[in-house]
Amino acid sequence: MRERGGWRRARRVGFEAACVGAGVVSAALLFAIVAATVWNGFDALSLEFLTSPSAGRPGEGGVLHQILGTIWMTAWAALIVSPLALACALVLELLADRKTARLLRVLLNALNAVPSILFGIFGYYLFVRFFGWGKSWLAGSILLAMMIAPTVTVSWADAMRAISAGYLETARGLGLSTGRVALAVVIPQSVHGLWRGLLLGLARAAGETAPILFTAVALNGVDALPRGIVDNPVLALPYHIFALSQDAYDPAAAAAAWGAAIVLFALVLAFFAASLPLRLRAHEEARR
Amino acid sequence: MQRVASVPAARPRDAVDLGVRAGAWLGVGLVLAFFLALVTFLVVQSLPAVRAGVGELVLGRHWHYPSRVFGSASMIFGTVAVTLIGTAFAAPLAFGTAVTISELLPRKLASVLRTAVELLAGVPSVVYGLLGVLYLVPLVQDAFGSPSGDTLLTGGLLLGVMILPTVASLSEGALRTVPAEAREAARALGLNRGETILHVVVRQARPGLVSALVLGVGRAAGETIAVFLVVGRADGRLPESAAEFPSALLRAGQTLTSKLGSSEVNIAYGSELHWGSLVALGLMLFLGVMTLHALGGFLRVLLERRDRAAFGRSGGNDA
Repeated sequence: MRERGGWRRARRVGFEAACVGAGVVSAALLFAIVAATVWNGFDALSLEFLTSPSAGRPGEGGVLHQILGTIWMTAWAALIVSPLALACALVLELLADRKTARLLRVLLNALNAVPSILFGIFGYYLFVRFFGWGKSWLAGSILLAMMIAPTVTVSWADAMRAISAGYLETARGLGLSTGRVALAVVIPQSVHGLWRGLLLGLARAAGETAPILFTAVALNGVDALPRGIVDNPVLALPYHIFALSQDAYDPAAAAAAWGAAIVLFALVLAFFAASLPLRLRAHEEARR
Repeated sequence: MQRVASVPAARPRDAVDLGVRAGAWLGVGLVLAFFLALVTFLVVQSLPAVRAGVGELVLGRHWHYPSRVFGSASMIFGTVAVTLIGTAFAAPLAFGTAVTISELLPRKLASVLRTAVELLAGVPSVVYGLLGVLYLVPLVQDAFGSPSGDTLLTGGLLLGVMILPTVASLSEGALRTVPAEAREAARALGLNRGETILHVVVRQARPGLVSALVLGVGRAAGETIAVFLVVGRADGRLPESAAEFPSALLRAGQTLTSKLGSSEVNIAYGSELHWGSLVALGLMLFLGVMTLHALGGFLRVLLERRDRAAFGRSGGNDA
């Protein structure tokens, strides 16, 4: 059933043109998104904006405290998620039998699909009401940590899997126990992959609004950094943008929102940029 | 794929070994306990609303908390509508983009576009929300002449833009895993490039493409912040008939997530029924997204199994 060459050629050209067209539209959209954020953001950006706290009225003052609050909450999320994800990754790759590991992986993939707002209302019930913490930055950090735990775990397990088999055989051959193999070989040999996975998880955590909305953040009237846990919310960039967006008909609020948006964008970009060289190193780790 | 340990040692051999193992299992226990608590919370806390009447809760057209009427139908409709619009917008663009990056562009250009797409997948949703408020809302208002630009359509389109990079990036990854030999063999058999892509590369990458799309759809259904900002958040706007459906999309609406993100959460806590109804919205969202996830996984396994039956173990590349 030979077709005519012309018809086949036309179909090929049509299909490829449709794909390239989609690619061009996507690229244009992506470019427009970045351009709009950068363009509007740079207008609002100044040294004063970055180094002064926000004032009482929406849109007045800077975002210094929001930057500090976001970094504070993200850093604690990193401290909380790291031991948990390490534990889960070691169980997945080293400790569990094959069946348990497969089940755990399926479970983690499912948990990764839990919408972030559910962390928000669960956190509201558990921390704000049940524990009586009121709004607390720690609740926010815990929720963000749990939200990224499945992703970080899976990427860490993959980083561990990439270690060459020779190392493990040697370690086993030297008579190391499973625990010592984990400490002396698996973790040090995959460390670049671990950093990369963590940074990508944190990039997501830093920009999330829904889990911290009712649990961890305030609009203003808060110290730069918390002095305790109970009733100690922080200011955060995503929530700041969220609140200002609702007043965006006011040009001052819109300008401040853009300024905060480009700062948040830069923060997320910094996490990505920091992870890029690690990707290459992780590849080298895998190839050795 | 080989795991690090093909066979775990049966029992701990020294203190370090014991410590590492106990710590690791404890960590797994903590993570699973957290998620178990989350699911238990959703079920137990929504019980008061479920007891008051499941039919009314799920199918009721009106949600008006001052008069203690809690029907979720309009929010379920809103979530389904914005998710479908977003998927319809994003899927063709994302798949086309993935094919372009993986198969058509020269290597350097492909790598630039790939990195850009990966980066865009990481832009915080609140930034998309802000873009939506200031650009998409006026655009929809002008284009359709609707009284307000805060509509279900706006929410859906914004979701489409948001999930586009995620779906494109994951799809491209799936296409790239198809071995070069498959393409070479197809070309050697006389298929042109388009036919090779369509009948060999896309065909072999199908399980991965399905996963990418399902993940995007799940993201869209669960996205809160951006939708909240542009969807209008009007309760109880359910189309009366199928004919009203298109115009309903051009009105303000409410989704499960935009309701859960609203300040009603603080108000509701005092009343058992109100709080229970809100948590029930969360439970419905959870069940919906998990069902989607499971269906996606099932479809993926089904496709992989069929491919294995058709091509042999390694999916068309059997040695």
